[in-house]
Amino acid sequence: MPSATAVIPNELGLHARAAARLVERANGFESLVELSHRDRTVNGKSIMGVLMLAAAKGAELSIRTEGPDQDEALAGVLAIVKDGFGELE
Amino acid sequence: MTLALSGQIVEPGIAIGQAHNIQRNEIEIGEYRIADEQVDAEIDRLIHAAAEAGVHLEDLARRLKKSAGASGEEIIRTHLAMLEDSSLVQASARHIREQLCNAEWALQLQLETLVAEFRTIDDDYIRSREEDIVQVVRMVQQVLAAEQPGKPLSDVPDRLGHTLVVATELTPNELAVLHDRGVAGVVTEHGSPYSHTAILARSMGVPLVMGVRRAQSLITEGEQLVLDGAYGIVFADPEESILRHYLQKQSESDRYRKSLERGRGRPAASLDGEALVLLANAERPEDIRRALEDGAEGVGLFRSEYLFMQGLPPDEEAQVEHYVSAIEALEGAPLTIRTLDIGADKKAHALEFEGLRNNPNPALGLRAVRLCLREMDLFKVQLRAILRASAHGPVHCMIPMLTTDREVLAVRSLIEETRLELDSEGYDHGAERMRLGGMIEVPAAALALERMARHLDFLSVGTNDLIQYTLAADRVDENVAHLYDPQHPGVIHLLEHVFATARRLQVPVSVCGEMAGDRRFTRLLLALGLREFSMQPRSLLEVKKVITETDVGAVREALARWTAGECDSSTMTLSQFLDNAQLHH
Repeated sequence: MPSATAVIPNELGLHARAAARLVERANGFESLVELSHRDRTVNGKSIMGVLMLAAAKGAELSIRTEGPDQDEALAGVLAIVKDGFGELE
Repeated sequence: MTLALSGQIVEPGIAIGQAHNIQRNEIEIGEYRIADEQVDAEIDRLIHAAAEAGVHLEDLARRLKKSAGASGEEIIRTHLAMLEDSSLVQASARHIREQLCNAEWALQLQLETLVAEFRTIDDDYIRSREEDIVQVVRMVQQVLAAEQPGKPLSDVPDRLGHTLVVATELTPNELAVLHDRGVAGVVTEHGSPYSHTAILARSMGVPLVMGVRRAQSLITEGEQLVLDGAYGIVFADPEESILRHYLQKQSESDRYRKSLERGRGRPAASLDGEALVLLANAERPEDIRRALEDGAEGVGLFRSEYLFMQGLPPDEEAQVEHYVSAIEALEGAPLTIRTLDIGADKKAHALEFEGLRNNPNPALGLRAVRLCLREMDLFKVQLRAILRASAHGPVHCMIPMLTTDREVLAVRSLIEETRLELDSEGYDHGAERMRLGGMIEVPAAALALERMARHLDFLSVGTNDLIQYTLAADRVDENVAHLYDPQHPGVIHLLEHVFATARRLQVPVSVCGEMAGDRRFTRLLLALGLREFSMQPRSLLEVKKVITETDVGAVREALARWTAGECDSSTMTLSQFLDNAQLHH
């Protein structure tokens, strides 16, 4: 099961809109997507979970995927995080 | 008698009108047991209700996209994502199965669990999302209770002009309905400035004061209200003087807004017929369309750092793509790309260099063109991308923070080298047409401008840094911020010198610092001889309005009188003096 880490680059961090976009992306894959920040690990397909990470700008996010399309899922989720959820200044 | 109530500031703006209290008929959530064989049917009921609530939210998202733009729509998308979250409906279904309870109660149990978890989080913004979850769950519970979602508003009149709604709290959904019906302003007893209702109010421009305790019992139905959003104050039954004051303020700001709108589509020409050029500062291709609508004739500063603030330094292709999408958005108007402007004070995640760390004086250290000329590989990739993009439309390249003409020559030869490489590799580029400009931010560069300007096709004054370096004062440091004064005689003198030298050498010059977009300084810059202004898009209409109300000859004369000491500089600033001079002209 592949994993990677990324730093959250956008000003507002993983706020509601960003979380909604991340979850939408994660739900496009069959694999399990897990996100961790500090000592909390949540389901990357659950907006409530993702919000509870309270990950601000600069926070380090670990992503782990497992399932039939795990590599694509990891790349897809990693890309949207690095892209600042489409809201980089 | 006036009753003044205060709450949380959300959206500035003044609203005056009649109070209308709306009652929320809170639905009662009862608990009852179901039989084993009813479990599947009860789960079906839950899933159907959630689906119906989803349809309602989709519909709302579409309507909001029209009335409140993308940010309104995205708020509802968040609610949809919560509705579809497995930790809501699926978890509630589990409660039905395990506890043999009704769907409403299962939702309530799950809501309490989620809210309890959110309350443990040490972050105001995230904690306020509790409101969103409550709103989403309420909506499903309303459907289960065979009610139309949003029914609490059914007794609100269709037209709400001159009406201020007073509510215990409002969902974004309800606020959108009120906005559709033309509500003048809103007062709520609960809710936080971080809530989605607040965000939506801002994007729709609805004056809103939240968190006014006991507003519904203190405000009488039908009485007159004055809401001052900028201060978070509501006056109930205001006395004549307060009412008059706000009516006047309201009509002034209406007039100002309308006059800005009238400027749209008109040329930026002064009263005495000087044609001025307005350009936009932009960071992303998305910023550009709005800027063109508001009258920008191109982009005078395209910050390229944006791409470097992400995980890895962007490769050449990513940069080309980024610049080309900006060029396309401009539809033939010029794009001025500023080469990488980072340093120890403006960090980029992607870049860590020797010399950036532990610098005791970052503003005077390795940054901008200094860094680029040291990290040549990085810089070459950017120059290649800029040159390749310039095949797609008019592109100017602008070098930040020049100190000596040697730096200009070094960049020029690097561009030439890059061009030859691209030629030999068979890439298209627009190097022959591309103009090379420099940013004047270092006082010594401004003072000795002539030497440098001979090698440049255009100049742009970065006033933020030029002022900070000239006054040796960092405006971010609160201990010395009072010294940061764009109207300091030393700064004025330097700007005048730069504009005059550029004119003499016939090199175009613009200002792309914040001063250019601050309408308080528009007349001052005109009097000093500036003809090209580059600014954040939202200032374009404001600055244009000042330009069209200025006689450049008259303010130039006024500036000469000021400089000669013919006026009392203790009672007003130079910019105020120039505004007065225009007024009495």
